[in-house]
Amino acid sequence: MELKRTEIYEEHLKLNAKMVNFANFDMPIQYTSIKDEVASVRNAAGIFDVSHMGEFLVKGSDAENFVDHLLTNDIKNAPVGKAIYSPLCDLSGKIIDDLIAYKITEDEILICVNASNIKKDWDWMKTQSSNYDIVLTNESAQYSLFALQGPHTEKILKRLDLIDIKNLDYYSVKKSKIENTEVIIARTGYTGEDGVEIFIPNELAKTLWSWFIEAGVTPCGLAARDVLRLEVGFPLYGQELTNEITPFDCGLKWTVKMNKEDFIGKSSLSSYEISKKSFKFSIEKGIPRSGYPIKDNSGAQVGIVTSGTMSPTLGKGIAFASINATVSLQEDLFVEIRKMTSKCEIYKKPFYTGGHK
Amino acid sequence: MSSNIPEKLLYSKEHEWILVEDNCAMIGITDFAQSSLGDIVFVELPEEDRELEKDESFGVVESIKSVSDLYSPVAGKVIEINSDLEGSPDSINSDPYGSWMVKIEIKNQKELEDLMNAQDYLSYCQG
Repeated sequence: MELKRTEIYEEHLKLNAKMVNFANFDMPIQYTSIKDEVASVRNAAGIFDVSHMGEFLVKGSDAENFVDHLLTNDIKNAPVGKAIYSPLCDLSGKIIDDLIAYKITEDEILICVNASNIKKDWDWMKTQSSNYDIVLTNESAQYSLFALQGPHTEKILKRLDLIDIKNLDYYSVKKSKIENTEVIIARTGYTGEDGVEIFIPNELAKTLWSWFIEAGVTPCGLAARDVLRLEVGFPLYGQELTNEITPFDCGLKWTVKMNKEDFIGKSSLSSYEISKKSFKFSIEKGIPRSGYPIKDNSGAQVGIVTSGTMSPTLGKGIAFASINATVSLQEDLFVEIRKMTSKCEIYKKPFYTGGHK
Repeated sequence: MSSNIPEKLLYSKEHEWILVEDNCAMIGITDFAQSSLGDIVFVELPEEDRELEKDESFGVVESIKSVSDLYSPVAGKVIEINSDLEGSPDSINSDPYGSWMVKIEIKNQKELEDLMNAQDYLSYCQG
């Protein structure tokens, strides 16, 4: 199958990016060095082309009602201009995807979903939308998405005289204009640092990208993005989140508002008994990787590593794991790496706290 | 990709270099290999005295996002490992041909015939 390309595919090649197939898109995995790219985002600023992600637009008088019913988190009580992170669940409460809903106005909500789930999410939302007075459109092919991330974000936007984000709080969104073209900008990201995500019509993508590159912003690939999100404790669909578990099985209880009106999955979740739980850990030596077994004191396997990496910021191997809900985190747990076991040093908090606003 | 391939070494299809001195094979990974892997952050080497089969995995080299096995290009006993690499795995990136990993006592000199010279390895990398 021919891989899809983002609008600025050629720019990635010019920057000598290593390209890989990600969700059927030919995407930059790294440009120079993952270590350097991660450090740029932690200490200055990096730019990510994440145009493979999906954008759905919900417009109409029932936009809030529809999205609130669709998602486990609370959209209705969120003020206009707020972004809300939420799982998207099926009737049994199992996770279809995780996403961000951007409440641009009461009757215009932008939903940004994972690239690998665009079709699945779209089909699901379509079938759920029939009783609502809304127009639901899939804008994924028309929009490019850049994430500018790092402590220098505000300074760079100012220097380029692009958009004033002084009054745009963390997890807030607004419409703006670049070169007389309407764009949507949100103070969100997947790195834990201050930053923005800018949704732009494709025709503006190449120009905007080159401005950032010329301003000295470091282009960063998907590998750095994965390291950055792991360091600050963000889950990833397909790794920590799957359609075999509910938000209660993976540390996302805070995103399920059982007190709000009926929503998809509510009735199943109200009587759900958790089967898994998740935890974060580091080890002294070696690098835990996705799929490695988690064992208890007796040597019995009780779970599995869902994501792992070397953290260049911490200088050690870090990971997320999913274990049987009955296992106590007070007990010692071990990760098995090539037949050798290492004790998990469990983290209650993120491995690293980024500097987001 | 431009790649440094010294003339005096032999090369395996697994992108290892081999320096042969009498009965001893000194083994590391090539410039091409380190550059494809990216930032190397972890190395696991075998115990000394371990007997290796030809093509047997004897350790791993890990970059931030990947794990790669190391394969012995010849059969023989591990006579020495470069344990300095465990503390400074990034030296494999900066100096791949100075960063030997193991020395193996060659059991069967004939196995060296399966390895490539610099010119063949260059075409192999470009292939």
